[in-house]
Amino acid sequence: MHDHDHDHDRTVKPMVEEITDFEVLEIALRELCIEKGIFTAEEHRRFTEFAEQIGPTPAARLVARAWLDPDFKSLAIAEPLTASKAVGVDWLEPTGFGTPSDFTAFQVLADTPTVHHVIVCALCSCYPRPILGNSPEWYRTPNYRRRLVRYPRQVLSEFGLYLPDDVEVRVQDSNQKNRFMVMPVRPEGTDGWTEDQLTEIVTRDCLIGVALPRVGVTSNVIVDTRPALHPSGE
Amino acid sequence: MMSFALLREIAAHDQVWPRMAAKYGVENPVPPWKTSLDGLCDALDRAHCATGVPTFQDRRDEEDALSATVYPDLPYPESQLVALAHSLLARGLITEDELARRLPLIRARLEA
Repeated sequence: MHDHDHDHDRTVKPMVEEITDFEVLEIALRELCIEKGIFTAEEHRRFTEFAEQIGPTPAARLVARAWLDPDFKSLAIAEPLTASKAVGVDWLEPTGFGTPSDFTAFQVLADTPTVHHVIVCALCSCYPRPILGNSPEWYRTPNYRRRLVRYPRQVLSEFGLYLPDDVEVRVQDSNQKNRFMVMPVRPEGTDGWTEDQLTEIVTRDCLIGVALPRVGVTSNVIVDTRPALHPSGE
Repeated sequence: MMSFALLREIAAHDQVWPRMAAKYGVENPVPPWKTSLDGLCDALDRAHCATGVPTFQDRRDEEDALSATVYPDLPYPESQLVALAHSLLARGLITEDELARRLPLIRARLEA
């Protein structure tokens, strides 16, 4: 035991000190589903742990390693599941007992100086979660999903990415069984960098394809999430 | 489209995360229940063979439609949560009565 004479106000981060209806609703739905035998508490716990530990770092490391090692780049393109394992992601058992909505075919789309890839799920919000974490809110919106397929350059420009006309844009549609990530071209000014340094500039947005890696940029582009112009059901 | 008074009340109470976070000076971009909701959605997707449980595709389609029409004022992920509740109620997997009975019990437990 240690003395408790320090000032908690200075050491503890603020918290929301009221219980919201949404928090209560989430628990109620979950408990009722468990009681009705739709799933077990154990299954829910395992999936929640999965949701808590995933993020874009393994994918960023995969790209950084491929930039440094041509053999690993070839492996990432030819055998993406093997390359994923090398950065700590097992697509076959990402939670220890599988994620049916995530699996299974996974491909790494390698950009070149004249071809740029960007991923979308036009139908819903399929995303390479085991290696990239949860999708950003905008990726889920009908606005991004519908318009990227039709007007890719316009949508990319809304993220601040303006590609020259001689760069071909390939929009890759994902679905429940096929997931993709983008391997961008290594940017100028990174000669002699370590894998850790390179990993830092491969942001989530670069791995989706709405941004290009740049020296000094380690955070994602933030864009306002817009409602759909023609919501489904209308 | 069906409408559920209970969910409309929750939405109208407006304890949405951007407002809560600003009120208490919290920086987390999403509410603490978000990963549990993700776990709930994954567990449901895994269980979709059970009678009446929506498939992943149905769930996401309904979330998009409900978020844009019945609950247009809710931000994400509150919209995801309430749309999921709506889908489960609409299918009769959970009834509005049992949900109405359960909510105050859980709140009492959390506030004890």
